Amino acid sequence: MKKKIIIIMIAFLLSSIIYHLGSGVSLAQQVSLAISPPLLELFIKPGKSIMVAYKLENHGDPTFLNLKILPFEAKDNLGNIRIKPDFEGPVRFSLDNADLTFDQPFFLKTNNSQQILLRIRIPENITDGDYYYTLLAETIPPTSSEGVGSARAKATIGSNILVTISNSGNIEVKPKITIFSTKGGFELLKNVKFFDSQDKISTILTVANKGKNIIKPEGQITLKGNLGTSATYDIISKNILAESERMVEARLLVPEHSDGGQATPSAEIDQTPPASLVLSGFFIGKYSLSTQIRFGENSPTIFGSTMFYAFPFKIMGGVILTILIVILVIKRDKEE
Amino acid sequence: MKKIIIFIFLFLTTPYVLRSTPSFAVPMDSSRFKMESANVEIAGGNKTSTSYKLADTVGQLAAGQYSSTGYVVKAGFQYLHSIIPFRFSISNTNINLGTLVPSTPSTATTNLAVYFGGAGQYQVTAIEEGPLKTQSSNVIPDTTCDGGLNTCSETTAKVWASSSAYGFGYGMSGNDVPADFIDGTYFRPFPDRTASEAPATVMTSVNVGKNRQSTVTFKTNISPIQPAGSYQTVINFVATPSY
Repeated sequence: MKKKIIIIMIAFLLSSIIYHLGSGVSLAQQVSLAISPPLLELFIKPGKSIMVAYKLENHGDPTFLNLKILPFEAKDNLGNIRIKPDFEGPVRFSLDNADLTFDQPFFLKTNNSQQILLRIRIPENITDGDYYYTLLAETIPPTSSEGVGSARAKATIGSNILVTISNSGNIEVKPKITIFSTKGGFELLKNVKFFDSQDKISTILTVANKGKNIIKPEGQITLKGNLGTSATYDIISKNILAESERMVEARLLVPEHSDGGQATPSAEIDQTPPASLVLSGFFIGKYSLSTQIRFGENSPTIFGSTMFYAFPFKIMGGVILTILIVILVIKRDKEE
Repeated sequence: MKKIIIFIFLFLTTPYVLRSTPSFAVPMDSSRFKMESANVEIAGGNKTSTSYKLADTVGQLAAGQYSSTGYVVKAGFQYLHSIIPFRFSISNTNINLGTLVPSTPSTATTNLAVYFGGAGQYQVTAIEEGPLKTQSSNVIPDTTCDGGLNTCSETTAKVWASSSAYGFGYGMSGNDVPADFIDGTYFRPFPDRTASEAPATVMTSVNVGKNRQSTVTFKTNISPIQPAGSYQTVINFVATPSY
C-alpha cells in the first residue's frame, strides 16, 4: 500500500512538471468579438438622458476587455472615420452596469456576452449641433514571450454613435451635389465623354453636407438612352456627417425595360476603385444620367445630370482593319 | 504491476492532452454570423420619457414624439431594416517572431476577419504602441524597406527583399487590403503612436461584404550590431463599421 502511495505521489509530481513545462510554450490566442448595434443615431434635446443597451460577444478565447468612448470625424468621402485620441465634446457618457466602468478591464469568457448599459446625457444649455463618438471595446494584449522577438496584437472593436442635439427638433439640411459624372472614357469635345459600347461605365455621385446636422440622402439615379432605354437605380440611404461629403452609392431599383434594339444596361456596386454605380451592357448613342435626391420631409430636393456617348469603337476598328487588309490583299493579287 | 504502469501512463499523459487541447487557434469560418432583427433595449432617463421608437424607415424627426420625449433613437443601418452585429477576429494575438538572427529575416502571420452580414462598409486600422524594443530601450527601427526607389512609408508599401535592409514592418494580402501591397515582397512600417502618427487603414470596403479575410505578415530583420534582448511591441488593430 505504501509503495502504491509513493508511486502515485511520483506520478503526480511528474504530471505537474509536464503541465508547468507546457505553460512555457507560446500559445495561439484567438480574439473574436462582436458588438451590436453597430450604429446608433440619437436625436436629443439638451437636458435629456437616455440609456442604450449594447451587446458585446466573445467568440474567441477568454479575454480581458476595456471599454472607452472617443470622438471621431469623417476621414474621407468614402465613409471611413478617424478616431480622435482624446475625448472632447459636451455629451456625457457613463455606464449603468454595477460592475463595469470605463477603462477598468473586465473578463469575458468564451461564447459569453456582456450587456453594456450606456447612459448618454446631454447637459442643459448646449448649443445645437452634431457630435460623433465611437464606443470601443479593446482586448488586453497577451503576456509576452521572453527571449524572442514578438509583437502582441490588441483587438479593438467599435460601434459608432451619432448624436444630434436640437432644442427645437429642427435640423439643418444644406446639401449640395459636388460631383456627378462618369469616370474614365475620353473627351472628344469639352465636357462630353465617349466610351466604347462594351466598357463598364463608372459613375461618381458625391454629396456635400454644408449644414450642421447629419443628412440622409434618398432618391434615384436614372439612366436614359436615346432609343428609349431607361433604368432606375435606388440611392442607398447612408448618413452624411455635418460639414463633410460622401460618395453616394446606388443599386438597381426596378428591372430595366429596354426597347429599340439596345442592350439592357445593368449595374453593380461591387467594384474597385469605388464608384457610386457601375453600368455595364452594350451601349450605343447618347445617354443621359440624372439624379434626384431628397433628405426627408420638408427638405429641399436637389438635382444633377450628366451625359455620355458610347460607340462600338473597338468593333469598328476591327472591321476597318479587316477591310484594309482585304483591300490590300486584293490590290496585291491584282498587281501580280 | 501492469495496472500500475497503465495508471501511471494515463496519469502522465492526461494533463498533457488537456493542456494541448486549447492551444490551437480556432479555425475561422463564416458559418457563425447571423442576421438579427432589431432588439436594442433603451430606456429614457427622464421619468416622463418612457416611450421610445426604433425607426424602420428613413425620415425626419418625428416632431410629436420629439417634443414629448425629448429624443428619437435609431439603431443599426436604416437602409438594411435590421440590426446586424459587427464582428472582428484575429486568429492569433501572440505573434512570435522567434529568435532573431542578424541579416536573416523573421516573419510571422496572423489573420484578420470581419463579419458584417450584408451591411458592408467597415474599416480596420493598425498602429504600433511603440517600436519593437527591449526593456532597456534598445530599438529595432521601423523598416524603410529596401531604400532608394523602394523606400516605403506608413502609407506606401514597397519591396523589402534585401537581407541588409533592417527594421520591422508588415505586409498584407487577402480581401479589402490596400492596393499597394502588390505581392508578398511589399511591406510598410507600422505607424507609431509614440511618434503621434495616425493609424494606417489595413482593410476597408465601401461595398457590401459578409466575410472579409486578410493575412498580416509581420517581418523583422536585424543588423549584426543589434544588441541582444527580448524585443516586444503591441499592435492595435481597430475595427469599426461605417456610419
